[in-house]
Amino acid sequence: MGHVIKKWIPIFIATGSGLLTLAGYLFPDTTLSAYRDQFIEWVVIVAAFALILGVLNILRVHSQRIVNSAEGWPYSLILLVAASIAWIPPLFSGPTGSMTQGILDYVISPLGGALAALLAVTLTLAGVRLLRHRRDPLSVLFIAVVALALLGTTPLLGFEWLGEVRAWLIQVPGMAGFRGLLLGVALGTVVTGLRVILGRDRPHSEL
Amino acid sequence: MNDFLGPTAWAVLSLLLTTVLLVGLTILRRRRELAASFREIPALSELPEELGRAAETGSPIHIALGRGGLGSVDTVTSLAGLQVLEGLVDAAVSYDVAPVITVGDPTLLPLAQDLLRRAYERNEASELYDPGRVRFIAPAATAYAAGAVPLGAPEDVTANVAAGTFGAEVSFIADISSRHGTAKRGAVDTAQAIGALYPATSRLAAGEELYAAGAEISKREKYVTSLITEDILRCLVVLAILVAAALALIGS
Repeated sequence: MGHVIKKWIPIFIATGSGLLTLAGYLFPDTTLSAYRDQFIEWVVIVAAFALILGVLNILRVHSQRIVNSAEGWPYSLILLVAASIAWIPPLFSGPTGSMTQGILDYVISPLGGALAALLAVTLTLAGVRLLRHRRDPLSVLFIAVVALALLGTTPLLGFEWLGEVRAWLIQVPGMAGFRGLLLGVALGTVVTGLRVILGRDRPHSEL
Repeated sequence: MNDFLGPTAWAVLSLLLTTVLLVGLTILRRRRELAASFREIPALSELPEELGRAAETGSPIHIALGRGGLGSVDTVTSLAGLQVLEGLVDAAVSYDVAPVITVGDPTLLPLAQDLLRRAYERNEASELYDPGRVRFIAPAATAYAAGAVPLGAPEDVTANVAAGTFGAEVSFIADISSRHGTAKRGAVDTAQAIGALYPATSRLAAGEELYAAGAEISKREKYVTSLITEDILRCLVVLAILVAAALALIGS
């Protein structure tokens, strides 16, 4: 009985809901699409509960770090204090309240912007490190193509041809490679997804 | 005729063909015990060795599963990222260097914890299982990537492995690894993440190679069969593209 509960019931639920959702997409004009929409609504609800699990995980991991005085524990303390404060404004003024919007506008948005700006720095640094650690013709070619693609969008007088080179690089080898990549990923996605639906892969089952 | 060649018909045919190939190859391989040979992907096949080095130093490896989760367009990519974890957890637990796992979507949290728990149970060491080894960092992509190493894995890790859904933000993980002199491995399927990781590491599994992780690391039958199915489908797609291009050229 335990075997049935632990193995076959999860497989039955996963395969059944997977097939019904897939069929709902393939045949949208049938009643199957209603089942599909229902399952998607349930996914949203489950995901909301997962977020609570995520918050509890953050509290647990960082509390342990503070208690154990682990390396970097002051950052964990700051994180917990910030997390404890951040939920208060939405509780009293709602998600569109001025305090909540203030946190979004003056804390979260600037932080997100700063991180996005830092990305340009880390990407450039990676390029510099590439030539330091991997000095081969392919690395030089990689850097040259990056430089050409960047210069091609810069309005330099007398170097308008760079724009054409950039366009060719992106539209021919770039796009061709990207298309091949997408097709490969799509095939991998189909096979992996089918493996779950067919019950060959059971991330949900004990056995 | 037009209806038969519509997108729905093509989708159903493709799914049926893939299913037949998957099931057929499974039966065939079970009956004849056929040996499979496939191209080695160093970024994935060397991971068990990386784990061995981690065991020698006593420091864990960090597996970043990315910002993807269940119920989104990244579901299958996230499951592929979990294959990397699945391939490594048993060896990691037996070496007593459980990996540190970070996730950017809380729906992956219970799945990753469950994989780790099962590995401890298989190794008869349930009492050593610590769910805190799997850590949710942040739901925003850049915040997750920036915090994955300093907040998620502040322990001295021997390698940072990015496997799952990433964009250009994976550059943060690579940058911190470079500054700490830690080994970097990547298995990612988006052009942005590939572009960001290529200059940082020569050990990169790009695109569909991420979906070969299970076969490369654990060599388990279900993953090997999937990989062979993917290879057959890829050959069919290439053939279809070439035939269509040739027909178009002749037609013009």
